[in-house]
Amino acid sequence: MIPCQSCLTSLQPGNSGSICRFGNIDPILKRRLADLGVAEGSNITVKRCCLWGGPILLECDGQLLGIRQKEAAKIEVSVS
Amino acid sequence: MSGAALIGNPNTGKTSLFNTLTSSYEYVGNWSGVTVEKKIGQLKDKSGPLTDLPGIYSLHPLSRDEGVAAEYLVTDSPSLLINIVDASQLERNLYLTIQLLEYGKPVIIGLNMIDVAKARGLAIDTAYLSERLHTEIVPLIARTGVGSKELLSCMNKTEEKDLSPCFTIHYGAVIEEAILGISREVNSELTFSGLSPRWIALQILEDNPAVMNSLALTEATLSRIRAIKEDALKQLRMKEDTSSLQDYIRSVRTEIIQDICASAVDQSNRKPHTLTEKIDTFAAHPVWGIPIFLAFMLLTFELTFDWLGNPLSDLLDAFISGPLSTLVEQGLTAVGASGFTHALIIDGIIGGVGGVLVFMPQIFIMFLIISFIEDSGYMARITVMMDKLMEMVGLNGKALIPFIIGFGCNVPAVMASRSIEQPKERTLTMLLVPLMSCSARLPVYALFAGIFFANSQALIVLSLYVMGIVLTLVLAKLFSLFLFKDSKSFFMVELPPYRMPQTVTLFRSTWEKGKGFLRKAGTFILGGSVLIWLLTYLGPGGIAAEMDDSFLASIGGLFAALLEPLGFGTWQSGAALVTGFMAKEVVVSTMNIIYHVPDMAGLQEQISLAFTPLQAYSFMAFVLLYTPCLATVGVLRKETASWKWTLFSVGYSLVLAYTVAVIIYQGGKWIGLT
Repeated sequence: MIPCQSCLTSLQPGNSGSICRFGNIDPILKRRLADLGVAEGSNITVKRCCLWGGPILLECDGQLLGIRQKEAAKIEVSVS
Repeated sequence: MSGAALIGNPNTGKTSLFNTLTSSYEYVGNWSGVTVEKKIGQLKDKSGPLTDLPGIYSLHPLSRDEGVAAEYLVTDSPSLLINIVDASQLERNLYLTIQLLEYGKPVIIGLNMIDVAKARGLAIDTAYLSERLHTEIVPLIARTGVGSKELLSCMNKTEEKDLSPCFTIHYGAVIEEAILGISREVNSELTFSGLSPRWIALQILEDNPAVMNSLALTEATLSRIRAIKEDALKQLRMKEDTSSLQDYIRSVRTEIIQDICASAVDQSNRKPHTLTEKIDTFAAHPVWGIPIFLAFMLLTFELTFDWLGNPLSDLLDAFISGPLSTLVEQGLTAVGASGFTHALIIDGIIGGVGGVLVFMPQIFIMFLIISFIEDSGYMARITVMMDKLMEMVGLNGKALIPFIIGFGCNVPAVMASRSIEQPKERTLTMLLVPLMSCSARLPVYALFAGIFFANSQALIVLSLYVMGIVLTLVLAKLFSLFLFKDSKSFFMVELPPYRMPQTVTLFRSTWEKGKGFLRKAGTFILGGSVLIWLLTYLGPGGIAAEMDDSFLASIGGLFAALLEPLGFGTWQSGAALVTGFMAKEVVVSTMNIIYHVPDMAGLQEQISLAFTPLQAYSFMAFVLLYTPCLATVGVLRKETASWKWTLFSVGYSLVLAYTVAVIIYQGGKWIGLT
């Protein structure tokens, strides 16, 4: 796990949060996420993490997707 | 006018619908990016052509396959758009719908996967949706063909009544003014484009490179447009908190979509993906996911060879070398064919083509399993599990999709690389696809492993596949260190819900892949066999008395000395490898013709005299690695658009094959193997 204060990777699998800010992530990745409806304000759930630092599996509005942990660490979430 | 076009998000069932509407059998699967180029077919009722496009999320393309769809809209100007929308993911699908409605041509919405939406407890008010979007909506289940008749009749109605969309979004005073300004600039330059100026203006405001490039505006106009954009952004920033025009336009659209969905979709009975969750507990397990995948691969090989493939192959061989050959011989004798014709047909064609066709069962079983992986939704999970490993060597988890397809055939695998976003990772993937052991190499393994490693055939063959994969990883690391500068990379993959592949679809995909093999048997392998037989029949001194005096022997002989350190320095091996460039199955055809035997048992005996097990393994490794076949070289040239990379691919694989075979043979001898 990449340590962070309030980012996606700090959520335990099964927990969700609302995205408040995309940090310094690749603009193309940001577009791709927006295409899938993952944007500021979206509610996102961490499903599971892969072994050996592999991608993290997320769910957003019924859509399952996977992104790398180092990018997930740049996405800030707030847990309500 | 180029008729109607199917357009929509990836993996929403466009190609399934296309196949139903046009009675075609295009490639379908359960992951994003199956279709990578546009396909044109004729509608069943002969009312016109239909174009199938790669899936896109928005008109702004990020990868090569998406560019195809966006450019199509600008350059081909279809008369009707059929927007396929995934009912279970309405909100995200409507983003593209809005851009299509702005395009200005009639739009019909095909609301697909209503069964999936229902199973998830989503109820969609189509009447309301249709009213808000001012367009026709046809509910569909593309996999089973439900709704395709209604869609066809709806398409025919568009000619009678005007269905041009009257859906417009008001983007606010600043953007509207910029739209007017840009429309004016564009109109003054492009008078006959037939495209909606408002749509063009919006695409320009969104910085859509595909649209801008296809329009080919002059530098003077472009600079005036840039000024309008800068001015608009400045004004917008005074009122709103936004970083770019693109983001602002997106936020306006998203707000409207959310408003529409809030009333159109009833989510009160919403259920989670129960089945998918359950399967993923095992299949995408953090620890067990990879071992399960490897166990699945081992099972594949056991099925393909030991359990099912070989027994079936033996039956087929018995038929071809027995009843079929006898029948043809009798027929030839009855019509009084000359000795030449007789030998050409029996030794050349039946020996060469039949010798490859006997491996049809193994190839079809492999294709069946690959089709199952493609159609079930497992493919995307494999990319996730393997991404870390791929990242370490400079590739992307998405490269696994071309690699797995490559086990079937390298040609569509090279094409499948289009869905990888980063150019570096895409080129690297294409260069390495030929190391995936395709089904054409399977007859060679089946033949040799059957002779020398009869007790552990599946394991020996698996070891060759693994060798290909390990070398791919090593070379990926080397190439990305020394050949590519750009190291930017990210990975994002959609995981579609699992679904049980339909038997019909599964057999159809298997047949479509297998047809390629049979077609090759009727063209390259047949032609190659005749040519090879003639080369064995003729020699520098006319008709060769002994095969050792034939042309083929002299061609193969050129390479014999070179192949000596690899353990198979005979003209026979040299000749088989040279002809194998046409298609790798031809290696087996050539062996059949050279060793001049009526059936598999005879060939096995001949080969077991000519090779030792160590030499045989070295030979199989060489066949695995040496040069992509002719068809793959062709598609590499087309997809990389560079002779340099194409020749590099041929060059590195030859060097690699030689090195590996030397190591296997010399190393094996050194540790005392034979």
